Amino acid sequence: MTERDEIIALANRLRWEVGGNFHDSLMESLYKEASEIVKKTVRKKGGEFAFSLDRKIDKIVTNKWTGFPIMFILLALVFWITVQGANYPSELLSGLLVGDLYGFLKSAFISLNIPGWITGLVVDGGYLAMAWVISVMLPPMAIFFPLFTLLEDFGYLPRVAFNMDSLFRKVGAHGKQALTMSMGFGCNAAGVVATRIIDSPRERLIAIITNNFSLCNGRWPTQILIATIFIGSLVPAHLAGLVSAGAVVGIAVLGIVFSLVTSWFLSKTILKGEASTFNLELPPYRPPRILQTLYTSFIDRTLIVLWRAVVFAFPAGLVIWSISNITIEGVSLADYFINYTDPFAMLVGLNGIILLAYVVAIPANEIVIPTILMLTVTHFGLQISGAQAGVMFETGSMEVTKQILEAGGWTVLTGINLMLFSLLHNPCSTTLFTIYKETGSLKWTVISALLPIAMGFTVCFLVTQLWLLL
Amino acid sequence: MDPLTSLILFGVGALILVVFFLPEKGLYYRWKRALQSTERVLIEDALKHLYDCEYRQVNCTLQSIAGNLDIGSDKAAELVERLESLRLITTENGNLHLTKSGRSYALRVIRVHRIWEKYLADETSVPETDWHSQAEIMEHELTPAQADELAAKIGNPVVDPHGDPIPSVDGDLPGREGVILTNLKENDFAVITHIEDEPKTVYAQIVALGLSPGMQIRILENSPTRIVFEADGDEKVLAPVIASNITVKKIFTPEEIREEFKTLSVLKPGEKAEVIKISNALRGQQRRRLMDLGVVPGAEIKAELENPFGDLTAYRVKDTVIALRKNQTDHIYIKKVEKTNNE
Repeated sequence: MTERDEIIALANRLRWEVGGNFHDSLMESLYKEASEIVKKTVRKKGGEFAFSLDRKIDKIVTNKWTGFPIMFILLALVFWITVQGANYPSELLSGLLVGDLYGFLKSAFISLNIPGWITGLVVDGGYLAMAWVISVMLPPMAIFFPLFTLLEDFGYLPRVAFNMDSLFRKVGAHGKQALTMSMGFGCNAAGVVATRIIDSPRERLIAIITNNFSLCNGRWPTQILIATIFIGSLVPAHLAGLVSAGAVVGIAVLGIVFSLVTSWFLSKTILKGEASTFNLELPPYRPPRILQTLYTSFIDRTLIVLWRAVVFAFPAGLVIWSISNITIEGVSLADYFINYTDPFAMLVGLNGIILLAYVVAIPANEIVIPTILMLTVTHFGLQISGAQAGVMFETGSMEVTKQILEAGGWTVLTGINLMLFSLLHNPCSTTLFTIYKETGSLKWTVISALLPIAMGFTVCFLVTQLWLLL
Repeated sequence: MDPLTSLILFGVGALILVVFFLPEKGLYYRWKRALQSTERVLIEDALKHLYDCEYRQVNCTLQSIAGNLDIGSDKAAELVERLESLRLITTENGNLHLTKSGRSYALRVIRVHRIWEKYLADETSVPETDWHSQAEIMEHELTPAQADELAAKIGNPVVDPHGDPIPSVDGDLPGREGVILTNLKENDFAVITHIEDEPKTVYAQIVALGLSPGMQIRILENSPTRIVFEADGDEKVLAPVIASNITVKKIFTPEEIREEFKTLSVLKPGEKAEVIKISNALRGQQRRRLMDLGVVPGAEIKAELENPFGDLTAYRVKDTVIALRKNQTDHIYIKKVEKTNNE
């Protein structure tokens, strides 16, 4: 045996003797030594006093009686400012992009003698989808996220996680999921990115997969429109507003319930074995840097929306125009799909048009309603002024929208199912792309897409069949 | 189709899915397990059993193989014949012995098994009671090279989470040390070094009591009907048949005896303490994360704040406030420091 072999053999024997906790003991002794040196040499000014204001605020915001009301009021305020504040700029943008600029582009293309199909594809298809996404999504995003960032900067958000952790612990998730879920109400893709704050692998995956159950800004307008048309009309006029608002909030709350139940299910089944840790830092309160926060947050979100409109919505627009205008033996591709899927769609209380709209609107939920209206009018050959194949539109009035949908065979049941399906279907492609980037795994991306779809079809099916039975 | 029929069809479909894919018990999983029971698996399990006999210095027979592998004696005889023809074992007066190559084969399988258990304990949240059964499957699937790669990734561990030594690449394994818990006398002090993970039901009982290697034990009563002892300050009672699955190392010098067994979870807001030890029950990422945050022996820690439901408490460590859950603070041992008056 050479000297080298002897040394290696000795090292192996010694490894058994020092035992399995060798690394821990080494680290412990390093820390111990360091803290003893600090004790001897470092003197602190102020001592405990520096933390007393923080603790006073904490006593109020994490108190059993005042903590939750403060939380609900703050969050409600954020949503209220978002909804109210986004209304006007959204209309303005829509008038500008979907109205004036669209008309200008169209006439410019025609006057330049560009072939009709190119004009249709680029202006009626791609451009219009892009314009729609920007006008629906940009204002709420630019208001919601800066407000959220302010709360975070101040140090309040970790306290929300601190208060809510008990609930999330019971379903196997992390208290910080309360925050990523709230972010999801703004935009699911942003919510998925926000899960980076959860440093435990299992809880982070749970937060990513369930983020889609937060009803995002792109889906709120759909919910409000359908609730007003189909739920509001069930009750006397003076109650209509209240009841339809209640229905939309009900769907959002149902989303939270689904999110918690799915978290529990995931933590007990496919994610059971993933590593899990817990810690939650409560940083000191700081006066927020208001202007800087507003500016950077505004620029960030605007860029995301614009990028998304160009990369995802524009191609979707091309597809929407093409399927309505490419015909085989006189029947458009859209009509083939609608006729083919109608029987199945009826089983779950929807129709082929809705399914097609959700397939082509995978890139952006905002264009679901304009696509449904366009497909309904084209498919049934309705006479609506200005409507043509492949050109998405929204009518200015609820009455006309209702007439179109009812001509397409919609009932109250269809309305309810659409609201449920809008909550429970695959995340938009921006979110899926983000999930893939964040998890680096095709498996979790596919699960994030298929799980809500399966749930959506199951729920709609049960609702429809029970409704028909009773 | 009328609604009732479709609902019934849906119910039947859901039922079939459950029957097939119910975790562990579903038909799909049973079928998968059945496929795994190949000749190679039988050979490796038999070698492991023979090695275990050798380690415990008892005799192994054809019957003990049949019993351990849960196969008929005809099949066991066939298996022994096959092992002999592969020159992995020899037979002497009905007793079976490993040959040199048989022993090194067995050690390779045991190495993979224990590395996988260590991996599950440190890098995943797979429950303790499932480690053994999952490793039983993986030991036949990983190649030695893959196992070495995994071992390198988790820091070349030398003992598995039950306290068993992991054979080295060359097949070295230290001899068995320590005494069985039932052999201790009253007022003996000892540290748990090993907990046998088979049979599963016995192991589950030990896990349910919260016992793990590294805990300090003091015997209070040792009678033929029961053993009463303190484990890290908590009183536990075990039947001797279960206690015999626990191996301990006796402590003789008084300096090694620890007396404080208060956990961090008893600390009330405003109270200060010094961390003494993080229990082995917090392992892998959980443990590393706590140490990263400065929760290490010797650190001063102060409870600051409880959340509205009282199951999450914020502590100040090294001037940072971090909240920890009760299932973590139950495993961090402290020594209380008298209250300061300047608050």
